[in-house]
Amino acid sequence: MTDQNKRIKDYFCKHTTRCTIEGVKKSKRFVGHDVLKADAWDKVTGEAVYPDDIFFDDLLYVKIKRAVHPHAILKDIDISQAKKVNGVVDIVIAEDIPDVRQFGLIIRDQPVLIAPGEKMRYMGDPLAIVVAETKEAAKKARDLIKVKVEELEVITDPFRAMEDDAPDIHPDGNIVITHHLNRGDVDEAFKNSAIVEENRYQTQFIDQLPMQNEAGVALYDERRGVVNIWAATQWLHDTQADVAQSLRLSKDQIRIIQPTIGGAFGKKEDVSVHIHLAIAAMRTGRPVKLCFTREESMITQSKRHPITIINKTGVDRDGYLTAWETKFIGDTGAYASSGPAVVHKGMYHATGPYNCPNLRGVSHAVYTNNTYAGAMRGFGTAQGAFAYEQQMDILAEKLSIDPAEFRLKNIYQKDSITPNGQQLTHSVNAEETIKRVMELSDWKGGRK
Amino acid sequence: MKKFGRGLATIMFGFGYGEGFPDHSIASIEIKEDERIVIRTAAADVGQGVITTVIQIAAEILRINPNYFEVVQGDTHKTKNSGSTSATRQTYFTGNAVKKAAEDLLANLYHYGSLEFRSNHPEIAIEDGKIYMYDDPDDYISYWEMAERVRERGKKLEAEGSFFPVTYSPDQNGQADKVYVAYTFLSQVIDIEIDTDTGTIDLLDVYTAVDLGKAINPKNVEGQIEGGTVQGLGMGMMEDQVIRNGKTLNAGMTDYLVPTSVDIPKFKHYLVEEEDSEGPFGAKGVGEPTLIAAAPALANAVYDAIGVRFFDLPISPSKIKKALKEKEKEENS
Repeated sequence: MTDQNKRIKDYFCKHTTRCTIEGVKKSKRFVGHDVLKADAWDKVTGEAVYPDDIFFDDLLYVKIKRAVHPHAILKDIDISQAKKVNGVVDIVIAEDIPDVRQFGLIIRDQPVLIAPGEKMRYMGDPLAIVVAETKEAAKKARDLIKVKVEELEVITDPFRAMEDDAPDIHPDGNIVITHHLNRGDVDEAFKNSAIVEENRYQTQFIDQLPMQNEAGVALYDERRGVVNIWAATQWLHDTQADVAQSLRLSKDQIRIIQPTIGGAFGKKEDVSVHIHLAIAAMRTGRPVKLCFTREESMITQSKRHPITIINKTGVDRDGYLTAWETKFIGDTGAYASSGPAVVHKGMYHATGPYNCPNLRGVSHAVYTNNTYAGAMRGFGTAQGAFAYEQQMDILAEKLSIDPAEFRLKNIYQKDSITPNGQQLTHSVNAEETIKRVMELSDWKGGRK
Repeated sequence: MKKFGRGLATIMFGFGYGEGFPDHSIASIEIKEDERIVIRTAAADVGQGVITTVIQIAAEILRINPNYFEVVQGDTHKTKNSGSTSATRQTYFTGNAVKKAAEDLLANLYHYGSLEFRSNHPEIAIEDGKIYMYDDPDDYISYWEMAERVRERGKKLEAEGSFFPVTYSPDQNGQADKVYVAYTFLSQVIDIEIDTDTGTIDLLDVYTAVDLGKAINPKNVEGQIEGGTVQGLGMGMMEDQVIRNGKTLNAGMTDYLVPTSVDIPKFKHYLVEEEDSEGPFGAKGVGEPTLIAAAPALANAVYDAIGVRFFDLPISPSKIKKALKEKEKEENS
């Protein structure tokens, strides 16, 4: 889509989707049918508008100068050479925007730009916003920005971060949050268990890897005092609110329009291009575009949390779970993002869908100087399942029971109680999923 | 040598934000004189198909073909808050908000229909975009004409719906009466073959059964199962952003491995549709649950194949080869 005759209003009106269906035209029922995706046609023909398809005649291009060290105090930033690059319109550093506030999903701990005297906490931290007539000029100027830093210890491991002598990455310490889970009498139950199995599991940093990188366009409507931002977000109004508070504007002054979204998987929950675009648009009075490269996207935006999970699981002679103790330690990297929620949601699901009367758990989200971790499909429970479902198989083997039978013995039924003490009052068909998958796969005691 | 392995995993996922966090969705629907029905929602369609889902729900309630619908989404100044596309919540939350709006709009069609026909609701039929008396189907008012007549009354043929279920914040022991609105359950069996010389895993077959209440669009559910599982298998056997001393060593798709079409196994699935949740038509969310069982089912299959347990991810060919060598050494000594 490179039709350059489009006007602003086309980009406002474009985002409606007309549903087309084949095959169910005569039906009176539409729920439960394979109605063709409403946006499929636009996507396969290239009609769908993504941020990089949005074009204005006087469009400027934005690049971000990022941290040069994962943990360092910015001593000096010199933009004099960069400013001389032909085509550079504006270079914004922290001193140009003294009133701008930090942002963030749960804790507002992310700076819009790092000022001299402040710390960069990971390689994605922004130091300057470069605005130029062309992408090439913006890139060239960005690379000419000179930075002096005082290097600090780089904390790469949450266990190091939790030690008393580790430097604080943020003023309130490195443990962002701690949650607990307590039900029944775990110690007594372990004593009375036939088998107790303890293992330590470790998951890794994963990128959500949506096909579309972070990208956006912004245009400041000075007459109305509204910044229009075309950029993806998974929660439109919450992003609007965070951008507005950061820039000290009213919510009405930030209009976010979603172009077609090329995947997200949790990565587009965090603010990415939005605030920098708004600043560039307001300062230059011209439309501006910022598209991350894949490399920039992977280094700068959120990851799936690496979580260390220590599970201790007890079972009686008849194969019923007796007690479960769990520890979740999540590396949330340089900023909290969704981390506090990810780590405890993982812990709340620590036992899987199995009845277990005695539970003890603790979870921590911990700052390090790694790329920050946030939301990704599964939200802590994918890491948790890797641990609890191996515990189940290990115990089944020790008990010499078919792993499917062992699960069926312990599986939630209606009125089962979750680790949070929630009684499951409706829609609990976990047992049927096991029976159906056994049927479907012709399950014979775990062998084909 | 090739070694066959089979692994099972069963998972649960409490969806919605839960934990007492305000969680709601607002949507509106308007019938227009120019033969369009416009749904307004801020629910982000990230490819999962929420646009299609809400059209199907509204079409079902308003008894008219999905072709007439248009969805305006993703504009802070044209839509109200629908919450995030995350936490596997949009089908349940925005689905319910749209359903409520559609029901209110249907009630309005009956209301204005009864005024126009000087009759009562039970005597009026509404279907296929037409309002008429049961005993005289030929004398009908179309939805579009009705929109015009309602405008003449100084009103709009529109309705807003919102869905705002209650959950409670866990106490210091993590306990509360209702932490999540509902849970989705899923079981998966994965068959693999391991090449003991190279350590590579061939994915053969994936069998999935998911307790989702009701599939609004079975084809889209199938897409979620296949996409989610493949993403989970990426986590299980190859994906790894390597960050050393704060610096990413593989920032790019040359060195960061993800499953491609050559890795994809064969899929068979079964949908458990009890229609017993409080979601629209009994539906529960499936977005996240479809990813979660893959990595543990794979790990269990790897153990079944070669008798080695892996406690850290991803289970890469080099780790498998190393483990097999160590195992051989142990067995020989």
